[in-house]
Amino acid sequence: MPIVWKHYNADGLWDELITSSGRARPGAGSLCRNLARLSDEELMARKEAAELAIRSMGITFTVYGGEDSGSIDREWPFDIIPRLIRKREWDHIRRGLIQRVTALNRFIDDVYHDQKSLDDGVVPRELVEKSKDFRPECVGVSPPHNVWAHICGTDLVRDADGTLYVLEDNLRVPSGVAYMLENREVMKRVFPELFEAYLIHPVDDYPDQLARTLSSLSSRRRPEIVVLTPGVYNSAYFEHAYLAQSMAAELVQGSDLIVGNDDRVYMRTIEGLIQVDVIYRRIDDLFLDPEVFRSDSMLGVPGLMRAWRAGNVALANAPGCGVADDKVIYTYVPEIIRYFMGEDPILPNVPSYRCVDKESRDLVLDRLDEMVVKPANESGGYGMLIGPKASRAERNRFARQIRANPRNYIAQPMLNLSTAPTLIEQHAEPRHLDLRPFILSGAENYVTMGGLTRVAMRKGSIVVNSSQGGGSKDTWVVDLE
Amino acid sequence: MKHHTLSRTADRLYWLGRYLERAESTARMINSHTNLIIDLPARLPHGWQPLLDMTDSHPSFSSRNQPPSERNVVRHLTTNRDNPGSLANSLDFARENARTVRENMPRVSFEYINDLYLYARTGLSGALSRSRRNTVLDGVLTRVQQIDGFLSRSMLHNDAWSFLRLGQFIERGDMTTRIIGVAAATPLAGKGPAEPYQQLQWRSVLRSLHAMQSYRVSVQEPVSQPLALDFLLKNPDLPRSLAYSLDSIRNSLRRLPRNEQPLRACNRARRNLKQADVGSLEGAELLSFIDMCQLQLAELHDFMGRTYFHPRLRVPKAGPRGRDGPHQGIAKC
Repeated sequence: MPIVWKHYNADGLWDELITSSGRARPGAGSLCRNLARLSDEELMARKEAAELAIRSMGITFTVYGGEDSGSIDREWPFDIIPRLIRKREWDHIRRGLIQRVTALNRFIDDVYHDQKSLDDGVVPRELVEKSKDFRPECVGVSPPHNVWAHICGTDLVRDADGTLYVLEDNLRVPSGVAYMLENREVMKRVFPELFEAYLIHPVDDYPDQLARTLSSLSSRRRPEIVVLTPGVYNSAYFEHAYLAQSMAAELVQGSDLIVGNDDRVYMRTIEGLIQVDVIYRRIDDLFLDPEVFRSDSMLGVPGLMRAWRAGNVALANAPGCGVADDKVIYTYVPEIIRYFMGEDPILPNVPSYRCVDKESRDLVLDRLDEMVVKPANESGGYGMLIGPKASRAERNRFARQIRANPRNYIAQPMLNLSTAPTLIEQHAEPRHLDLRPFILSGAENYVTMGGLTRVAMRKGSIVVNSSQGGGSKDTWVVDLE
Repeated sequence: MKHHTLSRTADRLYWLGRYLERAESTARMINSHTNLIIDLPARLPHGWQPLLDMTDSHPSFSSRNQPPSERNVVRHLTTNRDNPGSLANSLDFARENARTVRENMPRVSFEYINDLYLYARTGLSGALSRSRRNTVLDGVLTRVQQIDGFLSRSMLHNDAWSFLRLGQFIERGDMTTRIIGVAAATPLAGKGPAEPYQQLQWRSVLRSLHAMQSYRVSVQEPVSQPLALDFLLKNPDLPRSLAYSLDSIRNSLRRLPRNEQPLRACNRARRNLKQADVGSLEGAELLSFIDMCQLQLAELHDFMGRTYFHPRLRVPKAGPRGRDGPHQGIAKC
């Protein structure tokens, strides 16, 4: 049976396409009518066409299958029903993101220089200096434009009342942008006719904008830019290769680079050694340079930090910028914005409790079954407690962990994440989703048009990470005017 | 920003070229050998062994202690993972190399390479049955050619391209000489009633190099060992001849930086070939000439590694230059 929108039921949650009375939201009408017109066979044919396109385009991500099975390439899970955002709303979000990332960059720069914001008590000094992403090795370094987080992926979620919140800032090595670009390519192959009814803002200028941002980090007119990857077995290798290729930059591994005694970075090429000016690094801080951080790192380049501190090479993102994507620091971002920008935040944080404060901690421990508890610096959805879904034993385990190390945890009331119709077999069913736009900062700022929409494919699940069964959707920013 | 080719990338592209070429040759060899066997009367003791010789897959085959039957040999050359030179492995390696250098090729090329890999993963076992073998292996051939054609029409003919071609033609020169060597070492028969079968054997060699039709056009005489040898080794217009491979290697090398050593080795091999009267060679003489050609290709391969893939480089010492100093540029070794 084809999709019948009035039978679609988002259970009182906010749905991105359909209102609670079963009507299409403003702007979504044409899309919904088009989808409802397709027979089951046609729907399945489109779905299969998308799967085929993904397989043949080689859009994969790698999952770690545990000790025995090693890592496996999986095809990127994709849902063919796009998510719509009106341009007017997007402009508001865009302003909020730039405000937020600018404030965070000023904060990081302050942390590694004068620490005025710590002196003024905006963020407790102890919290910053004890953060496992604070790097004493970075103190006093002045990266170009005083920008540390050049590429930021900010996760946004919408609650049941339609309010959009910032869930977290990914400032270290955020991934997903290549999938955003590929999702659009797949949609254009599979549903070309849908594009006719809309003015959809293109997303494909991202690689040019990224190249421009990276170039602005060097004083050379045509700098030598490379993308540093941990290698083919990294879960985001597809993206590393994709971005290098789209920017015509070399995709290098640690072993391709060498730092001379002149504190400059060179790459090994068929012509000999060539100096590198900008490194878009996709490996974590601690693996960057075995001379300074983990001495057993095979992924990094000995001497890289020397070269960076001497100003002979730019690293994007700069080492140490993870200090601002710690989940406890996150709870202070509204204050950080007010302090550095002199403005109120345009986009709100999810209300959060810091377990390090006794009062909040008691409240969290008391209501653990209503809370989502997150460790300060894990990513990929690992190490979280989703209170309402957890067993009593899990909640007890978390309670013990929180008491033992309160600094390491924050808690948030469980949000009722918005949904969007997602094709499950032949039916459109509501599934929870989030949105990760990417913000570039160098000499100028840039925000992607929309971003990567991730969907929890399992019914009722709110875990959208692809490593844990999440999928994705194309995200359309549409002009209705 | 000038695009630079990393040593590692050059290495991977070179091997991608080699593995794709190897897959194509292997598929073609199995097809043409099957064809030959069908033509031969059962009393001639010419089995599937030569296929193992041509692909140099003896060690991995004999370690399994099995008779060289059709099924065993074909399985060994197509789907067997323990044979490093099997079609399945060649295509795996080709894809793995392509995967690590995909940003150096037009994006769609990886789709084609991936498609070939998926085809092999699901379809290759069909080659075990004689009736489906030709179709299945043709599927490999056409896909390799699709990749080849696509790359040559759409890839920038830059350094990366040169390394792909170098891998392709060093592998091709190696395969061509190997196939000839095996035919020379295991003649179907000398004199007597088997005489017509010698022709059959060289026809099969020509076919396995996709050169039968070209032979007819350019030699215009019945197939014989001396004429076939001259054609397959020295004809500069035949894409699978040794001469053509060496000329292509030379053309690719000429476009690369720091090419002195490999270019010298290539020219030496080409000169030797030119001076040899290959049609007059027989038996042990022919075999030792083929050995020499193979050694020269191996030497060329070594020079590629020493010059481009794993060179010893001098790393810059501390200097007075500041942040905006001149570009260090190229450090020659």
